[in-house]
Amino acid sequence: MEIAVSVKNLTKKYSLYQDPWGPIKEVVTRKKFHKDFYALRNVSLDFPKGESIGVLGKNGSGKSTLLKVIAGITQPTNGTLDVKGSIVFLDVSSGIDSELSGYENIFMKGTLLGFTKGEILEKVEDIIEFSELGEFISQPVKNYSAGMKSKLGFAISVNVDPDILIVDEALAVGDSVFRKKCMKKMDEFKKQGKTIIFVSHDHNAVESFCSKAAWIHQGELITYGDSKFVSSLYEEFMNGKKTIDSVRASIDYEHSIEQISYGTFKDEGFTIRLKGYIHDTHQQDISEKTFLVIRDVRTGETATKPLSKSGKGFSVQLNAKEHSMFFKPGKYSFNARISDGSGEPAEFSLWAGKAEIRQHLENRNNRFNYQFSIQKNILELSIGNLDKLEQQVNKIWFDDKYAYIEGVAFVRGYETRTAEAASMMYYMTNLASYERLAFPAVISETEEITENPVYNPQGKVYNFSRFSVAIDLSRLENGLYESHLTYQMHHAPGYELVNLVWASKQPEYPSSPYILANQTIEAITATKYLRWEKKDHQLQEAIQ
Amino acid sequence: MFTIYMEMWNRRKMIHSLSLQEMKREYAGTLFGFVWGLVNPLMRIAVFWFVFSIGARAGGPVNGAPYFAWLAIGMVAWFLLNDGFRLTQKSFRSKRSIIKNTPFPIAILPAVQILYSYYIHLILLAVIFTGMAFTLQTVSIYNLQLIYYDFAALMLLLGIGSVTAPLVAVSKDFGRFLDTVLVFLFWMTPIFWSADNLGVLERIVKLNPFHYIVQGYRDSFFYGIGFWDQPVYTLYFWGLVLTFFLLGNYLHKRLKPIFLDTL
Repeated sequence: MEIAVSVKNLTKKYSLYQDPWGPIKEVVTRKKFHKDFYALRNVSLDFPKGESIGVLGKNGSGKSTLLKVIAGITQPTNGTLDVKGSIVFLDVSSGIDSELSGYENIFMKGTLLGFTKGEILEKVEDIIEFSELGEFISQPVKNYSAGMKSKLGFAISVNVDPDILIVDEALAVGDSVFRKKCMKKMDEFKKQGKTIIFVSHDHNAVESFCSKAAWIHQGELITYGDSKFVSSLYEEFMNGKKTIDSVRASIDYEHSIEQISYGTFKDEGFTIRLKGYIHDTHQQDISEKTFLVIRDVRTGETATKPLSKSGKGFSVQLNAKEHSMFFKPGKYSFNARISDGSGEPAEFSLWAGKAEIRQHLENRNNRFNYQFSIQKNILELSIGNLDKLEQQVNKIWFDDKYAYIEGVAFVRGYETRTAEAASMMYYMTNLASYERLAFPAVISETEEITENPVYNPQGKVYNFSRFSVAIDLSRLENGLYESHLTYQMHHAPGYELVNLVWASKQPEYPSSPYILANQTIEAITATKYLRWEKKDHQLQEAIQ
Repeated sequence: MFTIYMEMWNRRKMIHSLSLQEMKREYAGTLFGFVWGLVNPLMRIAVFWFVFSIGARAGGPVNGAPYFAWLAIGMVAWFLLNDGFRLTQKSFRSKRSIIKNTPFPIAILPAVQILYSYYIHLILLAVIFTGMAFTLQTVSIYNLQLIYYDFAALMLLLGIGSVTAPLVAVSKDFGRFLDTVLVFLFWMTPIFWSADNLGVLERIVKLNPFHYIVQGYRDSFFYGIGFWDQPVYTLYFWGLVLTFFLLGNYLHKRLKPIFLDTL
């Protein structure tokens, strides 16, 4: 593989002075009056010839500094740089003088890039045509819009035929037609064996355009490799799903899910088998030290299962029945957790960008809708109810050691003429320990729904739709709880529906916490979903 | 030791076209263009002549040369030195937007500004020269010496510019300081007064290398004195230029990494 630009152990340090006299004081007193700021820290990278390489990073991460060093605009503090070929550094305003006309700027920039007047004259027609500026080309650039300026800058840079083109966020300004044109031109470049270095904080652009990508964070190279892999990691970090440490952990291990086979069976939920590999940095298989962690994306609740070694990699099998209240409507991600005995175990999403999916579906009368898909290179399970449960909490009150909930729940189209038509269960899940408490809901008769033309335009009978729950408050631990309601139909089609409890009638609920012995209990409905919180009373007063 | 000057020589075509573009840029958007580059200095010559000759009644002929002509020639030389000095010291700072975005040999920037000043100077010189030739019949073989003095002026400016430009790029205060020095130099260089009247101080005034150029211009027009007629002074001048060159090269290498970061 031919290397166009090679960067080794590159460090760039800036001295930041608080005191404007700092530099002079330093010369005189030989003391240090500045803070060191490392824009780049020991970065080593090879940019292969004929490829387009993305450089990802937040604003201020050092990616532009890296480019400036490569372009020779800034000198590195340490490290070596080896560039083979001519470089054009493109950003929106580079070398464009706003007093001069577009036409004169072509000559100005051309001269700066080392071309003679004759050479520029040969290119000028192409440049004007590419820039789409028309007669504006003879106007001073100060009258241009930002988009026009970047068009001019881009048109000059690509038409001077560099060996290496560095593009710094420049395409963010142009319109979509022009952007496509630029992409096409850059594709041509790639075909001619030229190298493009593309800097962006937008992972989509990098993913679609670049074959490789590097990610720089706070001056350090986090990872360098396949652009899809790098940008999926980057995106997870930028969304706040992962900390930089867990990203580092997932890079320390090489992993991939290669085969996903799953089936859904009557009343059984699903069974899934994952096959793949996981290696540490020494290429050693570490399947046996690793757990599969399925994480409820919303609450963070997890279910784990050890990986077992199989052939050259791992295999793990799991079915929904093993974790019956865990797998409920919601979204789930598949992660690996490695504990090497020292410190915090590392957890990261298993990469599934190239996984092969085999499915065996038997959708009749399953418990829920199960859907496996690969979203942004990561396996995701989403579970949905088979029908929609209409539900609302009408009243909440406290009495002695109990909290009482009264509400209505029904499924449109399925009449409830007797108390045996359905049964309900109320669950409370502690959001720290994920311990789950179950309380039976008593169904009683009401005409609230049947008589309500908004809910019941067809005039069906939903008389047994009222539920009431008594919660024994002494069973709750301190902490925050969320509430689920399960609704089991006893007649065809016999669906079981699981929902978070909806409570939007705020005036009907207690407005202040209930004090029971040394504790306070509060029903929280700010999000319209019913949650409970139990706290020590004294502690709360002490804080206030 | 002379790497930046080698670079300038190798890129002389680039310097030439950049200096022409500099001129375009300077007068972009004006209707009269470089005519302004002519009107302004001519006006200043006229004002000084009025102030010193009519106002202060000090304008007698200087060693036989009419005061107005003597002043004009001195001012023509001075404008070159003044513009060159003023523009080169800022050459990195004023082009920061290009320096920060385009990879190119920035060492040539002082030379671009000097050449730009020189082209403006040539226009003014041509006008004054023609005027003198018709009114005072000053044309002589010694006029050819102007080529030498122009060359000397350019080299002096290049030396000074190579020293000041990196220093100003590092410190803005130094730029302010140099602006002040320039005002001082303007009044201390014998441009509208003659150094002959000074006696002992004349030697000190002559240490100013700008005087060598201004005096040289007058010698070539009015007095028919060749630069070889004052070998010690010539040697002193070139020694000074060489010193500036060496210092400029050293400072450029030393300060470039710093001002690339701080500009």
